[in-house]
This record gives sequence, C-alpha cells and structure tokens, in this order.
Amino acid sequence: MTVKDLGSKLNLKALNDATDTEVEGAFISDMLSDVMAGAKAGNVWVTVQTHKNIIAAANLVDVPAIIVVRDKQVPEDTLQMADRVGVTVFATNLDSFQIAVKLYEAGIKPTT
Amino acid sequence: MIRLTYVESIRENTMARDRCKHQWRMTNPRDGFIVTEKCYHCKASRVYFSYEDVPPKDEYKEDAHYWNYAGSAQSAKFDMECAKCGKVVTFEELMGLMQCVQCDAACYLNTLSKICESQNVWLYAALSYKAGEEIDLPEEKLEILTAHFTGRLRTPGKKIIAVPGSLRKSPDTCKGEMLKDVGMLSLTPET
Repeated sequence: MTVKDLGSKLNLKALNDATDTEVEGAFISDMLSDVMAGAKAGNVWVTVQTHKNIIAAANLVDVPAIIVVRDKQVPEDTLQMADRVGVTVFATNLDSFQIAVKLYEAGIKPTT
Repeated sequence: MIRLTYVESIRENTMARDRCKHQWRMTNPRDGFIVTEKCYHCKASRVYFSYEDVPPKDEYKEDAHYWNYAGSAQSAKFDMECAKCGKVVTFEELMGLMQCVQCDAACYLNTLSKICESQNVWLYAALSYKAGEEIDLPEEKLEILTAHFTGRLRTPGKKIIAVPGSLRKSPDTCKGEMLKDVGMLSLTPET
C-alpha cells in the first residue's frame, strides 16, 4: 500500500504531499530515541510529537509517513522540513490506539 | 602451555574481529537528559548528559563561570555492537545527531548538505562533547554510524552520512537541533 492509499483508506488529513512510497508496517512511539533504535524502513510512524525533529528522525530511518494523532497542531517549520526530505505528514483526531486498529484493519501488519 | 593457548585464542579472536565485515546494531541504550547550561557572565554555553531521573537545574560557580540551567530534553545514549563478531564500540561522547536546517548560507555544513541532498544523500552532524566542550567524534565512529544508518535504509540510492559537528560555521549561531525529545515532559492530557 502506498502512503497516498493509506491516507485515503484511513481518512487522514494530508498536511503536505502524499507520496507513492510503499508503506510496510507501523511503529508507534513518542520518543525519538525509540524511533531511531526501533523503527524499520518503510514503517508509518504514529506519534503525538510535532516538533521538526520528528522529520529528521523519520528521514534517518527511512520512515515515509508520520501520522500525528489527537489533533495536535503541526508547526509550519515541521511541514517545510517534511517537504524537504519527502516525508508525508498526516493529521487525525483519533488517538494512537484507534489508529493502530485502523492500520491493522487496512492490512498494515507489524514488521519483525 | 595452557597460557600460550589462551594468548593465541585471544590473538585469533582479535584477528577475526579485524577481518570481520561488521554489521553494526545499537546496544546499551541509556536514558537521560541533554542539559544545556549558560554562564551569565561570559555567555559561554555547555552541554552535558545527565543520567538522573530529573534534569538538574542548580546554579553553581566553577572556575570563572557561573553556570545556569538553560534547558533540557529527554534523550538516550547508546553504543554500537557488531552482530557478527561481538565487537562493542562505546559512544559515550556522542550527545546526538543533528540534521542541518539550512539557517546560514555561509555555513559549510549547509553548503555541503544542499549538494548532497540533491543526490539523496543526507548529512547528520554527530554532535559530541567531552567535559561540556564540543569535540569531533573520531572518524572510525562516524563511519560506524554511517554504516549502521545507511544499512537500515530501503529507498534505492539513499544514503545517510554522519559528519563531525565542526562542519558547522558556529555552534553558537547554528539553529539545527539534535534529535532529542523536545517538550516530552510538558505533554499533558487534554481536558
């Protein structure tokens, strides 16, 4: 499934361009160190964090999309950084657990 | 004889490690805080890693400086271990990785980043400190970080390169931020 397809299927609001990069698995964490250590390339990352650091972390481990949950406002500098590195940022009013369920129902399974 | 065999086995292991095409992975994660302090007399700043449960905010005098707490963020340190031969390289001096935010056209890291990004090569400055002072991470360790993070990528042609922090024009004016958990302690439930 591509990032673009994922956005439509889960009814997410794309805050910048949704790419055609393939998504494989998901990683849920609010700690960047956790993402640096545990996220796998191709994972979609679910978080409440919105600081522009999240984009640098996503780019470092090749995460193509971030879902910011619970209606958190994403600053403009975060989106500018996301455009620069080609990471899609989605927003939703759902929480992490609800998004995890939706991801699973959409066919995004845990990666090992 | 036994002693000689022991020495030979150590030598053999060492040689095997030298021959190993290392496959690096993170090990020994250690949680803590990156703490920034400023001297209100001379405006000098320094950064250190605290393993305490709460970041220290005490003011204190040390030599000619009057150090004041200027901020902190949750983070973690780690070492790198070869999954094949077991060699461990410590990264105690590494405070964090930083991606250039292109804040200063005259900065060498900025110039280099722009050239590299056009080829899908991404530079991360490995900001390192010893006794509060910024130092460059040794080349061997930069290569380990480069090998580890590039090895984890899936996008064809993409590369991550760890570079020394001294590529920045000035640590004092650089607006890039280390990968750390900004505002984690202020995340509160919505009412």
